[in-house]
Amino acid sequence: MKPFDIVIVGGGGSGLYAAMEAMKTNPNLNIAVLSKVYPNRSHTSAAQGGANAALANKAKDDTVEMHIFDTIKGSDYLADQDAVEVLCSEAPKIIRELDNMGTPWSRMDDKTIAQRPFGGAGRPRCCYCADKTGHTILQTLYEQCLRKGVFFFNEYFALDLSLDGSRSRGLIAMNMKTGKVEAFPAKTVIFATGGYAKMYWNRSSNAAGNTGDGQAIAYRAGIPLKDMEFVQFHPTGLRKSGLLVTEGARGEGGYLVNAEGERFMKRYAPEKMELGPRDLVSRSLETEILEGRGFDSPAGKYLHLDLRHLGADIIKSRLPQIREMCMYFEGVDPIEEPVPVRPTAHYSMGGIDTDNFGRTIMEGVYAAGECGCVSVHGANRLGGNSLLDILVFGRITGRAAAEEAGKFNPSAIPASEVTDKEQELRSFMQPRGHYERYGTLREDLGHTLGANVGIFREASKIKQGIADIESLQDRFQHVRVFDTGDIYNTNLLQVLELKNMLDLSETVAEGALSREESRGSHTRTDFPTRDDEKWHKHTIYTYEGGRPKLAYKPVTMGRYELQERTY
Amino acid sequence: MSDSTIQHHEESRDVTFRVHRFNPQVDSKPYFDDYTIKLEKGITVLRALGYIKEHVDSTLTFRAFCQAGICGSCAMRINNMSKLACTTQVWDELDKAREPGVIKIEPLRNLPHIKDLVVEMDPVVGKMKKYSNWVDSRMPEEEWGKKEFLVSEEEFQAYDKATDCILCASCVSECTILRAHKEYVSPVVLLRSFRMNADSRDGIHDQRLAGLVQDHGVWDCTHCYRCQETCVKNIPIMDAIHGIREDAIERRGTKDTSGARHAEAFMDDIEKKGRLVEATLPIRTNGIGWTLKNLLPMAFKMILKRRTPPPPPLVKASKGIQSLRKELKEMASHVAKDHEKKSGE
Amino acid sequence: MKRYAYYQSCINEAMTKEVDRSIDLWQHDLGIELVKLHESACCGGSNLDYVSPKQFALVNARNIALAEKLGLDLIVSCNTCLMTIRTAKKKLDESAALRAEVNEILREEGLEYRGTSDVRHLLWVLIDDVGLDVIRKKVKTPLSKLRIAPFYGCHILRPSTVLGKDDPLEPTSLDLLLDALGAKSIPYEHKNRCCGFHTLLVAEEESLNVAAEALKEAMDEKADFIVTPCPLCHTVLDGYQSKALKKNGVKGSIPVYHLSEVVGLALGYSDRQLGIKRHIVTA
Repeated sequence: MKPFDIVIVGGGGSGLYAAMEAMKTNPNLNIAVLSKVYPNRSHTSAAQGGANAALANKAKDDTVEMHIFDTIKGSDYLADQDAVEVLCSEAPKIIRELDNMGTPWSRMDDKTIAQRPFGGAGRPRCCYCADKTGHTILQTLYEQCLRKGVFFFNEYFALDLSLDGSRSRGLIAMNMKTGKVEAFPAKTVIFATGGYAKMYWNRSSNAAGNTGDGQAIAYRAGIPLKDMEFVQFHPTGLRKSGLLVTEGARGEGGYLVNAEGERFMKRYAPEKMELGPRDLVSRSLETEILEGRGFDSPAGKYLHLDLRHLGADIIKSRLPQIREMCMYFEGVDPIEEPVPVRPTAHYSMGGIDTDNFGRTIMEGVYAAGECGCVSVHGANRLGGNSLLDILVFGRITGRAAAEEAGKFNPSAIPASEVTDKEQELRSFMQPRGHYERYGTLREDLGHTLGANVGIFREASKIKQGIADIESLQDRFQHVRVFDTGDIYNTNLLQVLELKNMLDLSETVAEGALSREESRGSHTRTDFPTRDDEKWHKHTIYTYEGGRPKLAYKPVTMGRYELQERTY
Repeated sequence: MSDSTIQHHEESRDVTFRVHRFNPQVDSKPYFDDYTIKLEKGITVLRALGYIKEHVDSTLTFRAFCQAGICGSCAMRINNMSKLACTTQVWDELDKAREPGVIKIEPLRNLPHIKDLVVEMDPVVGKMKKYSNWVDSRMPEEEWGKKEFLVSEEEFQAYDKATDCILCASCVSECTILRAHKEYVSPVVLLRSFRMNADSRDGIHDQRLAGLVQDHGVWDCTHCYRCQETCVKNIPIMDAIHGIREDAIERRGTKDTSGARHAEAFMDDIEKKGRLVEATLPIRTNGIGWTLKNLLPMAFKMILKRRTPPPPPLVKASKGIQSLRKELKEMASHVAKDHEKKSGE
Repeated sequence: MKRYAYYQSCINEAMTKEVDRSIDLWQHDLGIELVKLHESACCGGSNLDYVSPKQFALVNARNIALAEKLGLDLIVSCNTCLMTIRTAKKKLDESAALRAEVNEILREEGLEYRGTSDVRHLLWVLIDDVGLDVIRKKVKTPLSKLRIAPFYGCHILRPSTVLGKDDPLEPTSLDLLLDALGAKSIPYEHKNRCCGFHTLLVAEEESLNVAAEALKEAMDEKADFIVTPCPLCHTVLDGYQSKALKKNGVKGSIPVYHLSEVVGLALGYSDRQLGIKRHIVTA
């Protein structure tokens, strides 16, 4: 079988952009996109807010420089400044390019692309399409890939890189519809599988499939990960599902109330109250729950987001989507009842360590988007920069792979790799005396991560978390797949996803334990301040002997010196 | 504020999910499995199915991804209607259950079945490709990224609602004509075609339209409005279908397809008689040959029962036909003026 | 005697004359009087609004204005006429500019569209104005031995933004009426589905498949007959029945009655009086 020039794993924003750009760069290349869901289902669709770019359509004095500074400051100075420069200076071009190919951006009176203010940005530079920006970008990219005839392998689950010594020669994946394991010999592989924040399970706003598959495959193949301990929490997730109630609810005047009926934000942010910065509000909710002032329910402890005083008219006219979400997912009408909320894991800043072209240390293997870590978000991502990241670095990586594919000449993937893998997957289905259900393990993992490696972290708790993960890894050895069929075996799929989350959770917890400071999303109660002298550096994880081995890497600085981060 | 301190005391009850099962590898035909579980109010159908899969029967197979109503993965038929499991509350469905306490769950229709609640989505993608459901930019690719197109708010509004579509295929599942003929373009592809044709950045409007008026295209829709009523995003899909028809008549005239000729016949009759002349409608739509072949055998029966529509000379004109004709003529001059204004812009 | 303006649908003037004939028989029994609007015009089916949206608005503004002139609601006994005229009414009610433009033309005929008359289906009048209790009392020949498959048709239900009387996918009104007439209405899936009429001339194969499926389900459910409030559905399910079933390899046949005929039967009128013998498929 002739090797593919590029195999892209993941059909979200960065994967599709990479595919399109690669085809543009060299139309003769043989490119395949593998995705475990139909590409239009990818989690890019859930991004509502928008993408930042200093187009200066709205604020005429906005500049790329200002966007760079906002991003670096937002990252708590952990972002690499050269990478941020690439991100922000490419931003206007990529937004226009999306426009040129048909993205339905909202418009201003002068018919140019509309922009709105967003948290942490000095100017209104967030380009949007109503509250469905990610969805419309994803649809547009998918449509354009169909137009260009990109070859899709939909509902294929990536299993392993195939290695020839220390080099990649392609990918092994399972076709969900047949259950067959198939080899994809490839000169280059791009991982674009999104984030890993679903490891927090019911305490995550992420899609069920955001299980860090690309990161886990790369990691187990010896490719280092970076800054995994940085996971962003959003203050108001719904109690049962972890799904987001967007900031707009508080923007319109919603109250956060504890079980004693108190608007507790007055003790944390007396002036800004409910509208304090995201990380501060998340920490406040968590404190209330930890100190016993939360409500209790079978689905866990929670607080109230009370909108009732706004009245039915305002709720219906200004917050219709939020009301719908509360009714759909929590069965609560905010006109009648307060909404049960608690903080929820939302975004993974860490990922596969790459350079500014998406290259990893392994020749021919690339990563882009939330799956990779260039790093442009550092310790905390700014709203409106996640869509931008996947687009800009999806494109750059697609081009780099297209230009470099010719350099690699991989050996064939031996047939035994496929058959061995099939054997391995079959072994999960063997009846065994004592067995575990993956559903329980998955919930337990989310629970221990939320409790011990969540918003507030301290050495003793993180150690507990690490011990829990270890025991879950042991229990995983006994997980049984009850569905013994080949066709569309989601039982098997979810077990494999669980394994990916378990392996990555070790890096998150180990990184959190080692980083003895508080920076961005990483808050150590036992080390409450930022410690630039010791910790102004990236954490790097390598898979050795089945465990993460930690090392560090300096942050690339540029024209912006370290400063205290205040707003 | 005081009552926000009250704890949520939620009702719970036993609910039975009667789920369509079929694994082609082992089952000779589909069957239903009943799962009865205790649930708390406020739970969605998807979470209930997830609970069953994790704790009761791990072989139960369905798609789910975002769980938030935006990815479109979990569309299935719940109590005989296609919808997203993740946005459907169990308690709402209990109200609609035919058998008390039993919620029926089946896969989408009109798409090839894979297993349990999973159906093949490739036919939808195939039709998106066939009808060029993308913007084919008027700007050459080399120029991309340099400057924005200028797009008016009105234009954005014209396709704003259509871009809400998440390709969940609920409309595909409920479509009357697709059920009768699998080649039919399908509501979702008509919706998306309309959206592309309304976009001034697109350069293949006429080509796309030419495809849409062919057999199994836009004229085959039977106006049953099921797509629109079932749409999980409340998109007025029929408006889009009518929009394409209006566009087709405006750009391609009324002579090129049977659908357009059929529509035009109504206008003609109203102008002449104020009433429909049903007897000649088949001939005017499909020509004399088709009519003789398809309708003659039935005509005999109809004549026996005196059910045949009267021939054109015997169709009595509506009593007010004189004034009606005058009024229609006047309105026609308004329409002509509108067109002048539009093309002058 | 409550009075209404009655819209004369083209099909009832031509092919399904039995509809108006049976209504004429029993309207006074139920205390209603339908005043025929002889000057009204064809509503345009579901076609005219995309051939010429303005002519569509004009024709139907005029149809409604004729009723308004009499100060009466406009009653319709064809689903598609109902949906079409109500669609026009919605557009007129939502746009002052369109209203003004139309009224300027209608003025010459001494007509004005004001939006004061509602446009309703005969079925709705029976339920909401006459009342099920009254109907129950007036029944002379209860249809108690009969299993009837109600076939609503689309345009009395959908689009719900225009119709809005019944749940667009789980309707009950016809079932309630049948219950009042003493009949047993059977639950079956096709009761809210499409008959295929509107593609009969454009995509005949599809239409016949659609019709055959509905007929087959009603037969499988051992219905004695189908009843429909729409003459277009009747034309397909009755007139095209043998062709549709033959094409789909289904044996047997099932009579299809109009709503107006079933009411007539329960009120004691005979098949012959009601014109039921004119159907292609007879019991």
